[in-house]
Amino acid sequence: MVKGNWALFEEDFWSINQILQTLMRSASSRSVMLIDKTGQLINSIGEPPGFDVTSFSSLAAADFAANAQLAEMVGEKDFATLVHQGANESLYLSMIANRVILVVLFDKKTSLGLVRLKARRATDELIVVLNRLFNKLSYKNEDALTTNLGADFQTEAESEIDSLFKD
Amino acid sequence: MSLINYSSREINCKIVYYGPGLCGKTTNLQHIYSRVPQETRGKMISLATEMDRTLFFDFLPLELGQIRGFRTRFHLYTVPGQVYYNASRKLILKGVDGIVFVADSQIDRFDANVESLMNMHDNLSEHGLATEKIPMVLQYNKRDLPRVVSVPDLEKELNPNQAPYFEAVALRGSGVFDTLKVACKLVLKTLG
Repeated sequence: MVKGNWALFEEDFWSINQILQTLMRSASSRSVMLIDKTGQLINSIGEPPGFDVTSFSSLAAADFAANAQLAEMVGEKDFATLVHQGANESLYLSMIANRVILVVLFDKKTSLGLVRLKARRATDELIVVLNRLFNKLSYKNEDALTTNLGADFQTEAESEIDSLFKD
Repeated sequence: MSLINYSSREINCKIVYYGPGLCGKTTNLQHIYSRVPQETRGKMISLATEMDRTLFFDFLPLELGQIRGFRTRFHLYTVPGQVYYNASRKLILKGVDGIVFVADSQIDRFDANVESLMNMHDNLSEHGLATEKIPMVLQYNKRDLPRVVSVPDLEKELNPNQAPYFEAVALRGSGVFDTLKVACKLVLKTLG
């Protein structure tokens, strides 16, 4: 049986998916991502990005973590929102429920003001879904959080590790 | 912090390579990157100075493929070893599932190893984590160099919890995959 430090269930995933879809359309953005604050991608919506989303996620989380430390140094609790504006492409990043990072990738077809407005609405909706999920995680016992991967998961994973990780 | 996504059926785990400056953490990742099949590895990111010293972290995602229907990935990170980058080290440890502590076997780096290990304990405890509860593997690197500390002496000072250890020469790749394999397996055990 396999359990994680935190897990995302089917119903929560689809609720999140719906919110991200609406955000992407209403803000006319190119794509929207949700990233765990430790740098793991949870979901990505929109144009398939022309970059490695796994690396992107780790850098976005590091960006946020570094900025949180900068915030503390100047006497702020945190910088809840970060904006990176480029000549063509821009990024809007926002920390939600101190657990996940919402990333909106947008270009000149929209404006930062619209992205910010729609992202705030999406954030309110995401907080509801995420709080529901976190409550579920804290109230369910460990058995309930395990999945039906079967006892063979570990054996199979170990054999894959042995065959892939060698000189 | 491992993340299991039941909808997209993915499991992601984070392994951090820790240790003093110039002990060979980045070299470990570079060797892994150069030897694993292309479809197993993602893009390697290095946030380094112009002198190739790690400034923030190196990052290498590895994918085991589908295991019982779940895409299982390990995200490997290194921390910057230099003493004055402690803020960065602390950030990288956030959400760690397993640690590889790379020690430099040279006699004149012995104190640096001890200092780095103490620093790791402190940084973990600031995240509310106890070192003994986190899967850990030690790697005694640079065994090919003259004037190295004996393995029993390294064990005595650096490995009180008797975690698995490997002797290595990361530049030549020796011991690199042995270390990685055991680290990955220990992390998977904590999930199961």
